[in-house]
Amino acid sequence: MINKALFKQSCKANWVKWLTVTVATCTMLAIVIIVLGNLAINDIRDSLKEVFAQADQEATLKEDVIDSYDLYLSAVDGTHQIVVGVDAMFASYDQAKEAIGSSASDEQLSAIKNQVAAGAIQQFGDLLTSSGMTQEELQASIITLLGIYDFSPDMARNSAISTITAMLPTQIEQLAQQQKLDEGATQEEAELAGQQAKGLAEKAVADYLDKSSADDFVYSQNLFTASATTEVNEMMYDQVYEMQIAQGVDAEEAEINAVAVKVISNTAISTYQIWQQTYSEDGVLTDEEKTLAKTEATKSISDQIPDKVSEALEELGNMDVYGLIIGSIFYRIAGLLLPMVFVIMTANGLLAGQVDSGSMAYVLSTPTKRRTVSVTQMTYLLFSLFAMFALLTAVSVISVWIVGGNNFAINFSEILLFNLGAFLTMFAIAGFCFMCSAIFNRAKYSLSIGGGLTIFSLVCTILGLFGSSVVPSAMRITQMNFFNYLSIITFFDTTDILSGSLAWLWKFGILLVIGIVTIIIGIFRFDKKDLPL
Amino acid sequence: MKNEIAIKVEHLTKDYGKGRGIFDLTFNVHKGEVFGFVGTNGSGKTTTIRHIMGFLKPDSGDVQVQGFDAWKDAPHIKSFVGYVPGEIAFPDLSTGTIFLKNQAELLGVKNMDYANSLIDKLQLDTSANLKRMSKGMKQKTAIVAGFMADKDILILDEPTTGLDPLMRETFLDIILQEKSKGKTIFMSSQMFDELEITCDRVALILDGKIIDIAEVASLQNPSHRIYKIEFTNQKDYEKFKKLKFKIVRDQQKYFQVTIKIANSSINQLFNVLKNYQVKFISEVKQNLEKHFKDILASQRQVKIVTSEELDKTHRQKRIEKRSLKKQQKLQKEEKDDK
Repeated sequence: MINKALFKQSCKANWVKWLTVTVATCTMLAIVIIVLGNLAINDIRDSLKEVFAQADQEATLKEDVIDSYDLYLSAVDGTHQIVVGVDAMFASYDQAKEAIGSSASDEQLSAIKNQVAAGAIQQFGDLLTSSGMTQEELQASIITLLGIYDFSPDMARNSAISTITAMLPTQIEQLAQQQKLDEGATQEEAELAGQQAKGLAEKAVADYLDKSSADDFVYSQNLFTASATTEVNEMMYDQVYEMQIAQGVDAEEAEINAVAVKVISNTAISTYQIWQQTYSEDGVLTDEEKTLAKTEATKSISDQIPDKVSEALEELGNMDVYGLIIGSIFYRIAGLLLPMVFVIMTANGLLAGQVDSGSMAYVLSTPTKRRTVSVTQMTYLLFSLFAMFALLTAVSVISVWIVGGNNFAINFSEILLFNLGAFLTMFAIAGFCFMCSAIFNRAKYSLSIGGGLTIFSLVCTILGLFGSSVVPSAMRITQMNFFNYLSIITFFDTTDILSGSLAWLWKFGILLVIGIVTIIIGIFRFDKKDLPL
Repeated sequence: MKNEIAIKVEHLTKDYGKGRGIFDLTFNVHKGEVFGFVGTNGSGKTTTIRHIMGFLKPDSGDVQVQGFDAWKDAPHIKSFVGYVPGEIAFPDLSTGTIFLKNQAELLGVKNMDYANSLIDKLQLDTSANLKRMSKGMKQKTAIVAGFMADKDILILDEPTTGLDPLMRETFLDIILQEKSKGKTIFMSSQMFDELEITCDRVALILDGKIIDIAEVASLQNPSHRIYKIEFTNQKDYEKFKKLKFKIVRDQQKYFQVTIKIANSSINQLFNVLKNYQVKFISEVKQNLEKHFKDILASQRQVKIVTSEELDKTHRQKRIEKRSLKKQQKLQKEEKDDK
């Protein structure tokens, strides 16, 4: 089926073309891969990614700050409740004593004390569960306090307040810890959060007690917002500073970073306060309004810019530059151009060109069958194409191996599939060009139809690229995707390969079928047609 | 053996439309015969040869080479047919040597002695670049490629074009040598003299039809000869005319007559002329060119008329069509107006 002499003749006639195209394409590919692998093209991408990550981090930080601020104020509130409760307790004791009169017996007194203590336990029982104290202990200490109250009311009150408020931070710690655990944090994280909450609560309690000792003290949360802000800011500052020092950052830098966080914290709280004021026109802040204010105060950059812009930026950050340049641009466009020129010229020269010029007469005036001629020429075309892509594959694998590790996003199996896909695309195109060459007796028709449609395909792929998903949406013109439906190269879809989907399998199958069918049509047509030799 | 048929063409027709192509060609080429094929440009010589080579499929009729169908058994036929194409275009190879070597491989020729002897005879420098060869050199290279396998049948499409007169002589020598080896040669040409030297028979083809097949031997040794005689005076002239010689042409003005006479009667003529005042007497030589030109002249007159008529009918048809359309249009418009 294959004539050796004719095959040799085709080799001799086409080797310069083959060598030029192969060397040029291989060089291009090696340069593209090596340059891309060594340049830090990921820098811009990474910084974009970082911007969004930082924005998210800042939002979480602000949330923490606002939570802490709320916690401080609620601790103040809790303390106030305790103080009010303690006062109420002594008041009820006084009332009970007054009802009996000064002639009360010891039994009666102790009954009253027990009753008051029971009431107190009911009121402060919640706090007990978190502190180490049992009910009996609390009852005992209250009874003792009531005893002291009989001759030194101030001392008893102060003592009661300090005993009970001391339990509040522990309760808050446990609540915070539990909440963290519910949110899915680790035990360690939860404990840390609990400790922070406890510290903040202790400060809040102390703050309240300090402020309430003033003569003209009337409880209002507004009295504590300033100190809450300061305390939270300080806490954030300390937290970051300590963490940075622990991570080995030098003191100066740690301070700067801590201050930056403090500034963010301060801003977040003041923003929160402003939003709270805005929402609570009636002076009362519901939980819903609080949540709204918090949402407003914790908005990050990505929340502030329009959705489309942030999507575009995020997409740009996530764009696979290697996949775009090597897959979509090199293997589907730039790297195909020269092999296409080779295939168009060679396929035409193997049959139609020789029939047109008449030189085919020398082969066909020997006892060589037409079938042998067409099969030999087809074999040469496919063989030269295969050799070209075998070299290209070797070059690509070596290049990827050289740049490997430099966060080069394309692995060996992907690059091998790229080569296979490009080869199958060229196989289909070679089949088509060969068919044209076998059908037409005039080189001009074979060239204009075989070559014309091939180049048309390539141009459509270039235009279609601007409508395809590999181009960032900011640059994409979806309507341009229409061109992809006009190109045979569309069956070679590098995004399939990169995304790990197996859709490339059937697409490659179609390319293979196109190549085989066109070759068979060409061979049969060449057998039967008139040759003007 | 002499009458065994090497190439048989029967009712071969290939119609390319517009009167082009070949129509109902029938002729045989006998084994060991050199058969010439002559005709004007575009008369169908090459088309006929392409059919014999199996490059074209006949519309109807068939071509057989040594009993094998030229179209179906084309590859087999090539094992005893050598071919020199009319249009010289070589494969994309660098030098003549490489081309001939490659051709030898395709032909299965291992011994290059014969090819080399041809190269020597034609004084061909095969080491020259194929693309830069002169027309003559290309023709010589093509001749060597066609002859080197020493096939029994040679098909040559205008093999002498581009050769200088000396080389043509050499080439015709080669043809005669091949003929003496008993080869069958089918050769087309536009040069009557070279066909006359080499061929046994020559076919004339005009507008795709064979007009005449001439036996060269009978032209060279005719049974009748033609003489032109001019008399010095009118009296002798008039007197001679009254004799029973067959007069082909009569030119009263010069007292000239041209007569056709059988070889056997030549002595009789000279005996008669002894008594006449003859200014000069010359034999009008018969040759292939003259023979065919005479035939062509008569054919042409008819042909031209017919082609003109054809043209006319075409034109008339077109005019008729146009007027018909116009009428239809007018009718339509009238209808629309109504």
